[in-house]
Amino acid sequence: MFAWITTLASRTRTWLSPRGVDQDFATELDSHLDMLTDENVRRGMPPEEARRAARIKLGGVTQLKETNRELRGLPFIETFFHDARYALRMLRKNPGFTAVAVLTLALGIGANTAIFSVVYAVLLKPLPYANPNQLVSAFAANTQEGVPEDGTSYPNFEEWRAQNHVFSELATINFHQLTLTGRSEPSEVDTSVVTPEHFAVLDVKPLQGRVFFPEDGKRGAPPVVIVSENLWRGTLGADPKILGSSIILDKRPFTVVGIMPANFRSPFINSKPEVWIPLVQDPLFGSWMARRGGHWLAVFGRLKPGVSIAQAQAEMDAICDRLASEYPAENKGWTVRLVPMQKEIVGDVRTALLVLLGAVGLVLLIACANIANLLLTRATSRSKEIAVRVALGAGRSRIIRQLLSETAVLGLFGGIIGIALAYAGVRVLSSLMAEDLPRLNAIRVDNAVLAFALVLSAFASVAFGLVPALFASKSNIQANLREGGGRSGESGNRRRVRSVLAALEIALAMVLLVAAGLLLRSFSKLTAVSPGFNAEHLVKAEISLPQFQYSTPQQWIAFSDKLLARVQAQPGMKDTAVAIPLPIVNGKINLAFDIVGTPPASEGESRLADYASVSPEYLRVMRIPLLAGRFFTQQDIFSASRVSVISKTFAQRYFPNQDPIGKRLNFGFPPNGDADREIVGIVGDVRDVSLGEAPGPMMYVPNAQAPFWGANLVVKSTLSTDAVAAAIRQEVQKIDKDLPITEVGNMPDFIDASVSQQRFRTFLLGLFAAMALILAATGIFGVIAYSVACRTNEIGIRVALGASRSAILRMILRETLLLTLAGLLVGIPCALAASHLIGHLLFGVSANDPLTLATVAFILAAVATLAGYIPARRAMQVDPMLALRHE
Amino acid sequence: MAADKSDILQGTLDLMVLKTLDAMGPLHGYGIARRIEQISEEALQINQGTIYASLVRLTHKRWISGDWGTSDNNRKAKFYSITKSGRKQLNTEEQNWERISTVIGRVLRLADRG
Repeated sequence: MFAWITTLASRTRTWLSPRGVDQDFATELDSHLDMLTDENVRRGMPPEEARRAARIKLGGVTQLKETNRELRGLPFIETFFHDARYALRMLRKNPGFTAVAVLTLALGIGANTAIFSVVYAVLLKPLPYANPNQLVSAFAANTQEGVPEDGTSYPNFEEWRAQNHVFSELATINFHQLTLTGRSEPSEVDTSVVTPEHFAVLDVKPLQGRVFFPEDGKRGAPPVVIVSENLWRGTLGADPKILGSSIILDKRPFTVVGIMPANFRSPFINSKPEVWIPLVQDPLFGSWMARRGGHWLAVFGRLKPGVSIAQAQAEMDAICDRLASEYPAENKGWTVRLVPMQKEIVGDVRTALLVLLGAVGLVLLIACANIANLLLTRATSRSKEIAVRVALGAGRSRIIRQLLSETAVLGLFGGIIGIALAYAGVRVLSSLMAEDLPRLNAIRVDNAVLAFALVLSAFASVAFGLVPALFASKSNIQANLREGGGRSGESGNRRRVRSVLAALEIALAMVLLVAAGLLLRSFSKLTAVSPGFNAEHLVKAEISLPQFQYSTPQQWIAFSDKLLARVQAQPGMKDTAVAIPLPIVNGKINLAFDIVGTPPASEGESRLADYASVSPEYLRVMRIPLLAGRFFTQQDIFSASRVSVISKTFAQRYFPNQDPIGKRLNFGFPPNGDADREIVGIVGDVRDVSLGEAPGPMMYVPNAQAPFWGANLVVKSTLSTDAVAAAIRQEVQKIDKDLPITEVGNMPDFIDASVSQQRFRTFLLGLFAAMALILAATGIFGVIAYSVACRTNEIGIRVALGASRSAILRMILRETLLLTLAGLLVGIPCALAASHLIGHLLFGVSANDPLTLATVAFILAAVATLAGYIPARRAMQVDPMLALRHE
Repeated sequence: MAADKSDILQGTLDLMVLKTLDAMGPLHGYGIARRIEQISEEALQINQGTIYASLVRLTHKRWISGDWGTSDNNRKAKFYSITKSGRKQLNTEEQNWERISTVIGRVLRLADRG
């Protein structure tokens, strides 16, 4: 039963024991031979004859020794070490070849490993919570209005939670910042506003203290807070008596009840949250809890064990149907969509990342093709060595094993250097990456990534080693032994394989270059898009007002009036305005509206527009054109009649062939909702969500008639950003020294940051395409150069027979162009297919963009010709006499 | 376990070596080879070297053990003898062999008649 274990142990022992065993066996065979000879002599043979017969009877002594050695020790390991040693020697003898091959491979593996580490962290690694596959996000969705994912309101959430039987727990979360004072400089802390079950859903334990109890979420409960370990060790000075003492958030004391470990973070958030407070205590969202309309809470839950997402969906559908008939005004048309949390968090980054992984995989393929080509070339010049080995009795499998060992050693070196490159690459990638990339913090070279790199290098060494090895082992011994160097003796087959490989490289490079070209064009179109305002010399800063101290709209108006007056009085800062939200920086606030005097929106028609509350200077500061009517003035104050201004798209969509000025709209953002506002002007469209999204309808209201508990200041000034920021800081502190100023910076920088994901993927794909181009060019160069070297003789004869130098040049270039053409013919349909895959990453460019295709084809042809021209020139200069003597 | 043809042949040789050592007591390689040839009445002309592969395999499995000694005509030779576990193995193998040969014999007779 376990005989093989005894055998293995015994074999290992013999393998480890000194070489005396060989000697032993030789003695044994000698005595056997002697005995046989003796017997033969006894039978009457003459001694010479007897010895010969004995030898025949025993069999080949060398062969017996070899078999014995194989049976005795661990031949597999032995030959491997032997082969590896030999491979190292061969590689050392060809440092140029080795360096090129290892480096090419290292680049390929390094790039792949780095990208894989990102893909792994973002797409594959399970979420850092217990049983993460039970976690789902629940979105409100409205197909009629084309809203795929939205939050819900607190009353709706309460019903979802109370009525379902599929979730073990359901919780909500939202984020914003609160001002922490009393500990040091006033600072903004990232706050997760949660229902008490938040921690139960994620199944986490606090480092100290407790998580929230259901009572903490009830109205009238004393304010409590859970702080992060980081905040506790940092700003709070690791205060050992922190539990039970209080911290001041937005000028209101909260009792600390728990500390969460530093590595814990709530889902859907990239920055480290620093405090968690119950929803009911939040100065902003707490006041919205009673309203059933609105979509501002992100809901997530943990499925009960054994409940599938489809079962849960069915139950939630039923609940939503009930809610829609019970509260048609708020809930008609709204359903719930359940999405596995991991999928939701990853979002639309998936495609971009997979495209990058595919691209970098292609680069590795090209690298492998290149090394395979190099190996084929070398195998040709080594054919004599191999022929000698075969003649001495090496079997085909033995030769293949030997050659594969060489490539395995190459692969190993490539892998090791590649992993080192990957470490560096990951660091660079993390710094390049858009900060809003989900799960950015999880990216690192860990065991899974290392395993990937090792598998990859093993795969790569077989991929580039097998074909050359098969070819080499099949070579014709006799021909190769006769020919010696085996230069002109390259078989047509092998040459064909090399040409196919080179053409393949061109084709793969074509795919990458087209993809990179399309992304590059998209990106340049995207950044050339006018956002509808002029961002030059625009500086912005955000100030948010603690709600407990500034609790009434009158106070907010007074604050922003005072702030505006003070900042505008500074030299060079006349053009200052207040706006909430700022386009691109803050995203959009989307509100429903009614047109006064017309019937309410019919089913299936959406009356939604983006909303902004701005001060009268806003239009001038942002350089948004006024198309009709007037903009807000200092007279549009809180006590005056309500006015609004709409955008061009708004006018075209909702007032076709009419003059909207003088018409009235009913809309508003709480607490100033539900007011009729007269349209007094029409302004140009602004891309408020992102550069890539076409502007939707927008409506503006004067800040004085719809104030917020904070403000974005925008300043158009020729002063430096620092000077403007310093002036703002100084004026704000003069009004209230406890107000933090955040998100200060140049508007163009913010716009830049808004396209950072696009920039990132464009840059990376461009980098990979460049690598592919260089590799393909060296591939072509290698094939042509070798072909010229092999044909030196032929070229010499041609020249001797009167062929002109230019004819020779043409001949070699024709070969190059044929290769390139073959590559392009294969590459173009592949590139087209690939660019359709990345179709929805494109902006303003068709996936079939002929210009990109033509440009790429031209570049490839030009580079390939150049790569072929260098060896072609060498061919041109062949001295016929030398060439003829060459053989 | 699937065994290919050479495995069966190897196994057969191993079995014969074991049986020889069991019957004859310690023997050197030459002695074993000679003995097998004699018993088979020279019908089995083996390449005597192949015996050594068998000896290595059996040694690894600890069914036999080898010791240096002196042969009848004063030559240094390695003498192999069957071990206790080798005897046990031989026993099992013999039963197996008999069973299989009975079955095969039966099948062959059946085929003859049919």
